[in-house]
Amino acid sequence: MTIYSFYIFDRHCECIYVKQWHQRDRSFRPTSSASTVDSPVTLSSDQRSSTSSKLQNDVHPTGRGGRLSVQDDAKLVFGVVFSLRNMVRKLSGPDDSFISYRTGSYKLHYYETATNLKFVLLTDVKMNNLKVVLHQIYVNLYVEFVTKNPLSPIEHPGGEGVAVELFEMGLDSFIVNLRPHPPLRRIQTNLVLNREQYRIDIKVS
Amino acid sequence: MSATKAARVGEDVWKTRIDKVNAELVTLTYGSIVAQLCRDFEGDYLEVNKQLEKMGYNIGLRLIEDFLAKTNMGKCANFRETAETIAKVGFKVFLNITPTVTNWTTDNKQFSLIFEENPLADFVELPDDGRAQNELWYSNMLCGVLRGALEMVQMQVDAHFVGDILRGNEVTEMRVTLVRIIDDELPPGED
Repeated sequence: MTIYSFYIFDRHCECIYVKQWHQRDRSFRPTSSASTVDSPVTLSSDQRSSTSSKLQNDVHPTGRGGRLSVQDDAKLVFGVVFSLRNMVRKLSGPDDSFISYRTGSYKLHYYETATNLKFVLLTDVKMNNLKVVLHQIYVNLYVEFVTKNPLSPIEHPGGEGVAVELFEMGLDSFIVNLRPHPPLRRIQTNLVLNREQYRIDIKVS
Repeated sequence: MSATKAARVGEDVWKTRIDKVNAELVTLTYGSIVAQLCRDFEGDYLEVNKQLEKMGYNIGLRLIEDFLAKTNMGKCANFRETAETIAKVGFKVFLNITPTVTNWTTDNKQFSLIFEENPLADFVELPDDGRAQNELWYSNMLCGVLRGALEMVQMQVDAHFVGDILRGNEVTEMRVTLVRIIDDELPPGED
């Protein structure tokens, strides 16, 4: 159960916040062309600001072993999410939206508000649905610490005003607490007998 | 969403999820804002209306996020539903009033909100200078709030008061017109 990264996009299609937890290793972008990540990479390979591209042939950019910059990642994530969302709406009506998709190596969770804010979370494939989690981030962190912050501008060009301390701290602890519970869960049962208290611990694995 | 369901949602959110403040505090704060604006613009009430609307607009841009977060509402299917939601959920949640939605035009793009009660205007008398009665829309901030909030959910509207009990009209009435649905913005071209 791993959380890779988290993105917020505003209604102007701009990425206003990125947070990465686990640095994704190379296995996250498998060199096989089966993963859907590969195709957008190929599409935008000509204008990415990659530092290592001169070492690589342009035919298969994922084979270069380098990593895309955070901004390029965000652009690609937005591209996928934006297209998928529009496709879903065309297929099944304007009220529908996709919740997540997965590839062989990661899972993308998606939540969009009525104000066109898009929240995206990348996790490993075993993660359950996290739409609720994204909604919680919006309600308890974004609205509380960004929207209601009088010092933060209404629009956030370049992410201005989003990465405030309270928001970042809240997000971090929220995500850390998402990690799986320890394998042993303890259920406590208290019995009171003859004014003396006995405690019975039942361990559930 | 039907009107009754909207009313239920509004009631529910109001009861469980809203921090309340003293109504008179709101009334007096709002009153002092308007009074200060009237002084600042030396009785240019048209300008005061404009400033109130602008303040409301900026409130609305943020308030919509709080509204969505608290009520967990999705998109409205049509403008009629939007109107019910504004009246029965929006005003209920933030001001604990439910204005009546009425006077629809046949194309479903214009409606009126009739305010039986208006907490902003309690204890208020307009200045007795012969002009305020005809020029000042005392609660004009509400128009701006609606305009700002709806703009964020892709609806450009025009909202203005057409009657105010303070001016001696029969009812306090706001007219809301849907100008257009704002399209989603497209990402900038990659070239």
